[in-house]
Amino acid sequence: MILTLLKLFWSFVKIGFTSFGGLSMIPLISHEVVSNGWMSLSEVSDIVAIAEMTPGPLGLNCATFAGIHAAGIPGAVAANLGVLTPTFTLTALAAVFFQRFQNSHRMNQVLTGVRPVCVGLLLGVIASFCQTNYVVDSAVSPPAILIGLIDLLLLLKWKLSVPKVILLSAALGLIFFR
Amino acid sequence: MKNWKQALTLFRQFFLFGCFTFGGGWSIVAQMQKLYVEREKTITSQELLDITSVGRSLPGTMIGNVAFLYGYRVGGLACAAACVIAMVIPPMVVLSVITYCYTIFRENLWVMRAMTGVRAAIVPIIASAAVNLVKGAFRFPTCVILAAAAFGLYLFFNVSCVTLVVIGVISGILICEYYERRGTDRRDSDPS
Repeated sequence: MILTLLKLFWSFVKIGFTSFGGLSMIPLISHEVVSNGWMSLSEVSDIVAIAEMTPGPLGLNCATFAGIHAAGIPGAVAANLGVLTPTFTLTALAAVFFQRFQNSHRMNQVLTGVRPVCVGLLLGVIASFCQTNYVVDSAVSPPAILIGLIDLLLLLKWKLSVPKVILLSAALGLIFFR
Repeated sequence: MKNWKQALTLFRQFFLFGCFTFGGGWSIVAQMQKLYVEREKTITSQELLDITSVGRSLPGTMIGNVAFLYGYRVGGLACAAACVIAMVIPPMVVLSVITYCYTIFRENLWVMRAMTGVRAAIVPIIASAAVNLVKGAFRFPTCVILAAAAFGLYLFFNVSCVTLVVIGVISGILICEYYERRGTDRRDSDPS
């Protein structure tokens, strides 16, 4: 039992350190969990779909899923801790570094370039979500687009909170999709 | 004592964020933008952009990194840990439940319909954050070109985020040096 937990932890430490979020993690995750026999390949593709529909990013959701399959709830905790190891080490260092140099002239120059890049990235993410989230059964879905437009109006015009918008969209989904 | 109180507040707030982090964690930026930039005004939209780009370009999960960076910024190590742990618990609980009733969940049409609706909400949520974050992101006109380049490279050439942020670092220094040499440093006169 302890051995399985350690193996799970170590596998997901590797996944955490070598992945930079999003779908780029899939090849790595599937190699680790399939070669250890924690999940089958078809389960990996299912988990990608589930991860997209549930809160939380793919890495954490895979960790929970594989962890439970291998060793129950303790397995899920071990795998999640593994994925979070980079956060508690590298990001912690970055946070200290960032705080110290925040007001330096050079840092100011660096951020002048990094901020526009981040905006570009954000737009890129929006564009790629547009390609997947408004297509239902491999056809563009007018109801999905309508829900999107309603949400946009609610968010920008009436400043509705994100949780409320998500719950409303779920309700609209129940009404619109057959 | 004050620190514990703050950590507890952050824990509560990030627990709520965690319940609604659909869309690979980007919607958490939208939620933070609404709460911390607009309502509480604890950070500026520029600072949120900085945290997002640093968190996105480090290895590991983005939401964990962003939560840690924000927590550390406002209250040090204890708050950072509180933010990360609070954020991770909801997805873990939800997915544990789903894993145990895997087949029921997959074949339930009602669940599928509701989730298709939720997926349609992701783009407007991220877009509403982007609209607000754009303000103050461009110090010089050249920065707009940089953003457009990052957009194109990411979407059409699959360039990784780390590479893009490194490009941003280098171009930031080059652009600033260029404007400073010409003696038109607009940092002080720029309203943003």
